[in-house]
Amino acid sequence: MNNQALKELLYKMADDQLILGHRNSEWTGMGPLLEEDIAFSSMAQDKIGQSLALYTLLQELGERDPDTVAFTRNANQFHNCQLVELPNQEYDFSLIRHFLFDTAEALRFEMLSESSYEPLAQLARKIRGELRYHTLHANTWIKQLGTATPESIDRLQKSLENALPFALGIFEHSPHEQELISSNIFLGEETLKKRWKEKVESVISQTDLTLPDWILVEPTFGGRIGEHTAHLQPLLDEMSEVFKIDPTAEW
Amino acid sequence: MNSIDPRVNRLPIVEIVKPKAPLDQFGTYEVFVEPKPGKPFQHEGAVHAPNLEMAYILAKETFTRRFTCSSLYVVDTRDVFVSPLTEGDQNVFDLIEESESANGTSDFEIYQLSKRGKQHVFLGSVKASTPQEAIAIAKTKLNTGKMVYNIWAIEANKIRFTTEEEKEYWITLPEKKFRDASNYKGGDKLKQFLEKVKA
Amino acid sequence: MYGGGNTFEGIKTDSIADEDPILLAAFEARIERGEKIEPSDWMPQLYRKQLIRMIEQHAHSEIIGALPEGTWITRAPGFKRKMSLMAKVQDEVGHAQLLYSAAETLGKPREQMIEDLINGKSKYSNIFNYPTFTWADCCFISWLVDAGAIVNQLANAKGSYGPYCRALDRICAEESFHLKYGHHCVIYLASGTDKQQKMFQEALNRWWPPMMHFFGPSDKISAHTEVLMRWKVKMGTNDEMRNQFLDMYVPKIWELGFTIPDEKLKKNETGKWEYTEPDWEEFKRVINGDGPCNKERLEVRRIAEERGKWVRDALKSPKAKYVMPLA
Repeated sequence: MNNQALKELLYKMADDQLILGHRNSEWTGMGPLLEEDIAFSSMAQDKIGQSLALYTLLQELGERDPDTVAFTRNANQFHNCQLVELPNQEYDFSLIRHFLFDTAEALRFEMLSESSYEPLAQLARKIRGELRYHTLHANTWIKQLGTATPESIDRLQKSLENALPFALGIFEHSPHEQELISSNIFLGEETLKKRWKEKVESVISQTDLTLPDWILVEPTFGGRIGEHTAHLQPLLDEMSEVFKIDPTAEW
Repeated sequence: MNSIDPRVNRLPIVEIVKPKAPLDQFGTYEVFVEPKPGKPFQHEGAVHAPNLEMAYILAKETFTRRFTCSSLYVVDTRDVFVSPLTEGDQNVFDLIEESESANGTSDFEIYQLSKRGKQHVFLGSVKASTPQEAIAIAKTKLNTGKMVYNIWAIEANKIRFTTEEEKEYWITLPEKKFRDASNYKGGDKLKQFLEKVKA
Repeated sequence: MYGGGNTFEGIKTDSIADEDPILLAAFEARIERGEKIEPSDWMPQLYRKQLIRMIEQHAHSEIIGALPEGTWITRAPGFKRKMSLMAKVQDEVGHAQLLYSAAETLGKPREQMIEDLINGKSKYSNIFNYPTFTWADCCFISWLVDAGAIVNQLANAKGSYGPYCRALDRICAEESFHLKYGHHCVIYLASGTDKQQKMFQEALNRWWPPMMHFFGPSDKISAHTEVLMRWKVKMGTNDEMRNQFLDMYVPKIWELGFTIPDEKLKKNETGKWEYTEPDWEEFKRVINGDGPCNKERLEVRRIAEERGKWVRDALKSPKAKYVMPLA
């Protein structure tokens, strides 16, 4: 088993979860409906919890402790896709991102529940219920808002078109794709992307939204190799603001 | 805005807000939770939601993101039929006429309030044609003689239940220890600190 | 979280003179024997009015209270604190939801309550009109403001109105972790680096005066509330609650090596806590709109409501009808 390949996979997954969880938590106390505020921030918390579980697996493979790894790296050391670092904007964008990302995530973990790397397979099986709820939530919101009023449909459509290139960045290939596939750690980004596209098409077809032709969507890559938008560093600076007052202190 | 709160500084400028229209916050749905397998469902409260499916989704986090839960269901508040409310020594079942009717084809969930101030708890299911009949049949079939102050009857086909596959939503709930008071034993750290100070 | 200092109006007993004496007697007898009042019971108008006001204020305090701590979620130091703080603030929004529902059972729709918050008509706990400058300020709130809230909540959970009691039972259960978490954070600051200790001491100096205001004006200048005590709406006087808080928490603060900015603060021979009389004019000034964060708090709620309007409008259906929640 090539640890490099496995670590790279775990890092990108953990970074995705951490950054998106962090972004989604920004809605706490400011959501469109009290009950939805609670739901969205609870799911954000699940994500942070899942990222912690993944950083913990990394620690078991010899990486540093989760707090150090999460709170002291700079933007160019992060491997999240650019989709998750984008600012929240309005609720339509956050919901679309939630739908596009969580659909991929649920499928990724479903594939990983058969992974040859047992600790990851166990984690995947354990959190399946959480992810099931996340996709139920996303699908319901997209289907309802996507068939509701001209305004809600228009907003979701614009957000969908803005988000799709970044969403395809989720599936940016790892340098170790073949390694991961041949060692049965993970079936690879291409397989995941194919399943994801089917799921997305299926949900969108139940709305008044239109998916552009996939060929016309130009993926935004770079996140997996540390190339990020201008939004990530300020996010990280804010996240580590107190931690960095004294990284050796116990809080 | 110019605030020390970075989130607030990222907020967009918004025009004057018009007053809220009625039902801006939607209608209400009553929420029932099974705390553990084998324990009866109990009423937890209400959520505001635009429809039954959304009520289910919102109820799951509003009422079951803490403690334990093995199942959940929701129903429109308007679909909960309510008996009179008694007090003191008066058992509400004594005010209701029994019924043996066997013609009922709808399933009803029956809830009872055993003490004012407590939550309504599931008593049993009956078959009836109307909620009133359901309560009357409940008197015949489910009355244990214990004091009951109020009964609810809910037609099962109005309820959004949790399916068998959905029960996995709550599998990781018991592990989320960071929300348990017992996970914050400052005791040792405090003791250490106090000893250091004395020295 | 919840603050005392409820702005109860002075009660003129002639407001109950118009109520049916037989119904009133039965109502009071029920309370007297410890049985709860439920939404479908007859109740005096004054009872209904004061309870709506009290529960609504409590709900507003929770949703506004989510802001001074919520701002530190993105900056919480380390996973443990980040996840705990997220859970805690989520709970506060959850508590607002529970309390609005309880108030709704008395006949005031949630739309109306949110309206009244945003337009300044309804009050919320004054302590949230102050800014959390540092992580230590956030920890102060998590520990001591929550502690104050719990003192009130435990008392009110024994009150007479069923839906409020049920909401408070649930709130108290969730709060037990909040309090422990808050204390845990402060223990770490106290036993940490010089910078950490200093950060908390400075926060404590800033927050102590508002904390002394938290339970409301001293009994000698407060509105008369005997009938509310008899109806088990108000469960203890402001001074009684304040004294309980001081008794439980001043020793714990001193134990951690911090000083409290009040030289007169001490427990006297009768077991009662003595302190410098708080500035009640200041309290009145701030609660009536002139505090450091009042405008900002309401502006944030206003913006949140307006940003969410398109979402709610989209999902509203013509078949919906307003019905009060049951319990």
